[in-house]
Amino acid sequence: MENSLASLAVREGKRGGADNVAATYVREDARMIRFANNEVTVSQSWRSTTICVMVSIRKKVAIGVIEDLSEGSMKQSISQLLKIAKTTRPNKNYVSLPAGPFKYRSPQAGLSVQSSNLVKYVKDAISSAVSSGADRVAGSLFFRSSSIGIETSAGASGNDSLSSLEISVRAFSGIEASGQSNSCARSEKDFHPEQAGKAAAEIAKKAVNPFEGKPGKYDVILGPNVVANLMNDVISAASAFNVDAGLSFMAGMLGKRVASKSLTLVDDGTLSDGLNSRAFDDEGVPTQKTIVIKNGVLQSFLHNSSTAKKFGRRSTANAGWIVPQPWNIIVERGGASEEGLFSDLDNGIFITNNWYTRFQNYRTGDFSTVCRDGIFRVADGEIVQSLKGLRISENLPRLLRNISCLSDKQYWVKWWEVEFPTLTPYVLVKDVNLTKSLE
Amino acid sequence: MEDIARFVVDYAGSLGSTYSEARIQKLVSRSTSIKNGEPQFSAFLTELGIGIRLIINGSLVFASTNELSKSNVTETVLTAATMARVAAETLRKPTVLSNVKTNRDKWEVQQKQKLTSVGMEDRLKLILEADKCFKPRRGVKFPARILTLSETINEQTFLNSEGTFITSKIPRIAFSYIVTAYSPGKGTVQRFNKKGASSGWEAVSAWNLIELASEEADILASILSEGRKPPKNVLDVVLGSEVVGIVSHESCGHPFEADRILGREAAAAGESFVSTEMLGKRIGSSQVTVVDDPTIPQSYGYNLYDDEGVKVRRRELIRRGIVNTFLHNRETSAELGIESNGAARTISYSREPIIRMSNTYMDRGDHRFEELLESIPKGVYIKSFMEWNIDDRRFSQRYVGLEAYLIKKGKLAHLVRNPVLEITTPRLYESVDAVGRDLSFTAATCGKGDPQQGAPVWTGGPDIRLRKVRLGGL
Repeated sequence: MENSLASLAVREGKRGGADNVAATYVREDARMIRFANNEVTVSQSWRSTTICVMVSIRKKVAIGVIEDLSEGSMKQSISQLLKIAKTTRPNKNYVSLPAGPFKYRSPQAGLSVQSSNLVKYVKDAISSAVSSGADRVAGSLFFRSSSIGIETSAGASGNDSLSSLEISVRAFSGIEASGQSNSCARSEKDFHPEQAGKAAAEIAKKAVNPFEGKPGKYDVILGPNVVANLMNDVISAASAFNVDAGLSFMAGMLGKRVASKSLTLVDDGTLSDGLNSRAFDDEGVPTQKTIVIKNGVLQSFLHNSSTAKKFGRRSTANAGWIVPQPWNIIVERGGASEEGLFSDLDNGIFITNNWYTRFQNYRTGDFSTVCRDGIFRVADGEIVQSLKGLRISENLPRLLRNISCLSDKQYWVKWWEVEFPTLTPYVLVKDVNLTKSLE
Repeated sequence: MEDIARFVVDYAGSLGSTYSEARIQKLVSRSTSIKNGEPQFSAFLTELGIGIRLIINGSLVFASTNELSKSNVTETVLTAATMARVAAETLRKPTVLSNVKTNRDKWEVQQKQKLTSVGMEDRLKLILEADKCFKPRRGVKFPARILTLSETINEQTFLNSEGTFITSKIPRIAFSYIVTAYSPGKGTVQRFNKKGASSGWEAVSAWNLIELASEEADILASILSEGRKPPKNVLDVVLGSEVVGIVSHESCGHPFEADRILGREAAAAGESFVSTEMLGKRIGSSQVTVVDDPTIPQSYGYNLYDDEGVKVRRRELIRRGIVNTFLHNRETSAELGIESNGAARTISYSREPIIRMSNTYMDRGDHRFEELLESIPKGVYIKSFMEWNIDDRRFSQRYVGLEAYLIKKGKLAHLVRNPVLEITTPRLYESVDAVGRDLSFTAATCGKGDPQQGAPVWTGGPDIRLRKVRLGGL
């Protein structure tokens, strides 16, 4: 049914005078169980079908999101969209949709999970955290099973499915000590809510009785949650739209060093275990693996067809009709064991989580982010003290250049503060500026 | 639509729900954006669906769908009921909603000039004109600019099993921009700003976008060409209305949300340094009164009823420095044994109603701006900001000034760049010794909920004076 709705949108768009039409659909069945104070607070479920349509008439571009899907309403919405396109002005940088047809890999397997199993996973996470020493446990479990598809006037046609299980667990030990961990996977066999609960509780237990942190420059180990959060911002700065809009510290840096040699950063829409892998982008181009930063040198921005044309490059299959978006972000592993990474730290700080990253200036990369959950002072490779009240106040290019070492094991991270799934190890960064508030 | 809503409530009752509600929402939005003086795209969104909440066996469940056939809605309610029963096994205590008056009403925000009467061509022309104001001046260029004008018209039918039945229509319009100014040798500064209102096109006319853009260009050029290093020690600071607004929102509005205080948002949005035991206790100087008020006409966070059908009201969160009340929905008010004050909001049929702010501001005092400055031998006036953040208990916050001035002998001396105020919430509110008499507001989108819900709000206040605080920074 959804394919036919997307086809209807393309037909109606062309009939109304559009020279380019792309339509995507998402049919989603999703459920979420939120929990706090060791019990479920609310269960949520969603069943929806959404059609997104892009039309262009002589480079005049309009984008529509349609959820009222009766045939009459669909036709009316497309007509409205064409009217909007006709009354706007040309986007000089717009280029026609890439010519299909394209050959896509087979659709990914879907996933079906009973509600009773979802509740069991939540119970597992809570009891694991409590038995590992947490007083209180909160979190959310999210399951989605979606089918997606695309039809374009340039001949692209395909479908795929997206399924994932994600749990984020936050464990508390007293009022000021907390730890956060998560598990996310495309299959039940790779999904480990009890491990997430245990890991969160272990951080919370270590974090009890925190001391006020002292501001200063420190060598810092960033846990996977923190790296994932910051790398979402790095990838955002690599989106060609943001480069063009003056919202990137990587403008003018292609082929130049933007990070230490230790860092290789990749976007990959093809990973079999990637939570956000898709066969095609929103222009119908088959997704690919794109090396953004290789050994510290900026290799590529993320492109759709229009930004690629403007930058004299080929599309990296990251459309977004207007803003190129990543699929799965990969921070390549380093050579150190996690133990080795810590033992290299004579006197520094280990930050397990962060939130509220905000930029003073996207062009320069000046930003700050609040350390959250376990923050620890590390001496001679050992955690010696729990800390609180610290904030990373830094410049992102400088932080990337100061990466010293990455561990050899990667973890998937996706939660409230990490929009795009990120596979990352622990990272040691030298001379990180930490600040704190006036009491 | 009423018949679908009534079917849901009746059907949920037959499945054993002790409470049920149906909210059918149609959201139509249009927006147009330009980047560096070039049109990018225009967008059109229509959303129509139903959001349902049930309580079965003490277990609260939310479900939504945009397929409004009877068979699909039936299946949606059944799935919700199943989830409620399964989840009920984990409960230590049932979810209870506080008693409220039932309401029956039909209302809408009146538009002097209907948003739909202004075509996309005219909108585009207006923001292209505004964009032209960012012409180079005093050696400063504006190489990167994104300007967006957007509207939403939200029509909603709410019906619950207790007899409340409300239909409403709220048009909202917003103008936002992010601009980068650059000067060789001086670097760059960036400015994000937003105007928003629940209103017809008359709000846009009142904003005077051409004048706004022109003033913005002037001040950004001045910051780059004249701004000097700020002092970094303990001194007096005057915060401008825009900064006071974000302060009131982040370090009073959020920690006074009762769901945070009771731990329900602990996993993501976080908890609160405020506890129920702090009611009636001092948290700031007697100059400080912070209000959340959804009833301000034309405000971006305007409403007459919340999304549980409760009549909204003005709420004084801090009254003269004392913790006065929290923001409540029916769940948290039941837990504390009081009435809901109507703070449940949702941004879509597909999101559960949760406790949200509306228009949060520090109430006005009696000082003229000059009076705030006159007793300061050396200080800094921070009029606007770019970077800010706060920890998830809302205790430790940071604001980095954008337009800011050195104060010398009671007068503004010259612009300073990037002063950093990093301070705890109690210290900030204790330090307020004088409050200005002029109140103004800024539009913002407040983030909370899982999945995320970006809610339209106003933040605001007068200018205020803080005594003896430390400015820091990199």
